[in-house]
Amino acid sequence: MIKTRTVDYLIIGYGNTLRGDDGAGPRVAEAVAGWGMPNVRAISAAQLTPELAEALAGAEVVIFVDAQVGQAAGRPAASITFEPLAADDERPLEAHRSDPRQLLALTRQLYGRCPSAWLIAIPGVCFDFGEALSAVAQQGVDEALRRIRALLTGQQNLAHGATPLIP
Amino acid sequence: MTRRVVIDPVTRIEGHAKISIYLDEAGEVNDARFHVVEFRGFEKFCEGRPLGEMAGITARVCGICPVSHLLASAKAGDDIFAVTIPPAAEKLRRLMNLGQIVQSHALSFFHLSSPDLLLGYDSDPSRRNLFGLIAQHPDFARGGIRLRQFGQEVIELLGGRKIHPAWAVPGGVREPLSAANRDYLRSRLPEAFATVQSALAFFKQYAETHAEEVDHFGNFPTLFAGLVSKEGGLWEHYDGYLRIVDSEGRILVDQFDPRRYAEIIGEAVEPWSYLKSPYYKPLGYPDGAYRVGPLARLNICSGMGTPLADAELAEFRRRGNAQGIVTSSFMYHYARLIEILAALERIQMLLEDPDILSPRVRASGGINKLHGVGVSEAPRGTLFHDYEVDERGMIRRVNLIIATGQNNIAMNRTVKQIAQHWIHGATNGIPEGLLNRVEAGIRAFDPCLSCSTHAIGQMPMVVTLIDSQGRVIAEARRD
Repeated sequence: MIKTRTVDYLIIGYGNTLRGDDGAGPRVAEAVAGWGMPNVRAISAAQLTPELAEALAGAEVVIFVDAQVGQAAGRPAASITFEPLAADDERPLEAHRSDPRQLLALTRQLYGRCPSAWLIAIPGVCFDFGEALSAVAQQGVDEALRRIRALLTGQQNLAHGATPLIP
Repeated sequence: MTRRVVIDPVTRIEGHAKISIYLDEAGEVNDARFHVVEFRGFEKFCEGRPLGEMAGITARVCGICPVSHLLASAKAGDDIFAVTIPPAAEKLRRLMNLGQIVQSHALSFFHLSSPDLLLGYDSDPSRRNLFGLIAQHPDFARGGIRLRQFGQEVIELLGGRKIHPAWAVPGGVREPLSAANRDYLRSRLPEAFATVQSALAFFKQYAETHAEEVDHFGNFPTLFAGLVSKEGGLWEHYDGYLRIVDSEGRILVDQFDPRRYAEIIGEAVEPWSYLKSPYYKPLGYPDGAYRVGPLARLNICSGMGTPLADAELAEFRRRGNAQGIVTSSFMYHYARLIEILAALERIQMLLEDPDILSPRVRASGGINKLHGVGVSEAPRGTLFHDYEVDERGMIRRVNLIIATGQNNIAMNRTVKQIAQHWIHGATNGIPEGLLNRVEAGIRAFDPCLSCSTHAIGQMPMVVTLIDSQGRVIAEARRD
């Protein structure tokens, strides 16, 4: 049941689950949702749309999870990256490209605030039609889940200098 | 010697298209065309697939209106199974379709078209979008976003996800509605009603002060087609009979089983577009052109069937011709808002019905017929799914007639009319605002081009004005 509520952590994993490794973000979000942790909300989305702004406005911290083009199999796989994000309203939201910085800017404009934001980028090597993840992307998903669980259980803090909440 | 202006791609629509405007030496518009440059191919690659997969496959034709394909496909399956689905299943399918109408129409009006209406056709294109709307009209923008969200929540709470819910199946639906979810949706209705009624008030005032757009954005006679209820010929969105009306209000087709569509609807193909052009066969092509969708549904129905929407329909028809038929495609926006209102009223009625919580939502069946047709009203118009299967239920043939395709002829005429009215003496270039008006004419139809052509294409966005010597006089690019 959907509820409008404030949460400490919002995890948004987005991507096309029918395009191979592009489904890494939704896989992470679905796994986090399955943990059933209090004060944590996880959303699996095909793309970032304006309707997500309300959920962002109700969160203290948001972690976006998305796939990115990574190194080919057989070479050392690039690790996931975990970087802070800032709102950017220089470019409009587009239907075919999801950029969390624009969604943060839209949230700030609509609701007067936006949460501290981070992006986990999971390397992917295969974006063909299909629902399976490559070994590289699966490794990235597993690592992302370890990092997120450590954060949510207090075993790890976000990096110093995180973007503060904008009142 | 003619010159050609190309708008490629058209912005703030779903899918990929371009517009070509042909000028004579004096810079006057000779002709204009709306090209759809995508090719989807679902009709072909579905051959050989099991019937049970069709709802899930065809739902992925589109990310904005997957529910429409889901329901039409399930109905084709009902026809092949030769079953009558449980009453609660029909109510739940109707509830989801109404949620679909709310979210799709809200997207079209608030996200895609209202930047033109509120910020102006000639405003800075870099700000003529949702961000610009939020900056100047935050309450309006917020209301529209939340209205669309409500429609999506109806879909998600019924089908488990907002996009491509695997829920409607031949024989009924997979899951019933819970009391908790029913109560949540009820709680969201007051705000939704307030938002659409505010938007209606805005648009009616806007139409009063923008007669030029009303008169020249696709204002011409055509037929209008869609479903009406079997009892009373009221506004319909899920089932009923096919009705076709002309612009003088004469009923040409009535109480027609839509599964027999092929007897009266033909499909023409033009070499310059992947979008087919359906037409009313007795009048031939292109005289048999007809429009579908919100404008058509309001023109053909005998009433909306709910009090608030009926009151709006009466006012809407007073803005039409002597027979109460509204022929301006600009008024699709108005009709879309009235349909949101009607959908909300019907959602409210369904949520008040105790049977909406019934657990009896699926009938069993097997392959009892080798041919089935499912027809419903998508937000953009009548949608036909026509399947032939073998004895094992494997698809042998598929024909899809998509709402947007049925508006193809009208969209082309609209582009030409707008271009001829607003573009004169274009020897050195065309102001961006004029080009935007041409695009806005297409946006009024809220076309779903990914639905209509069954493939994925990518086109660069270039507007080019070339003189008779082949020199580029002007170029505009949208990234």
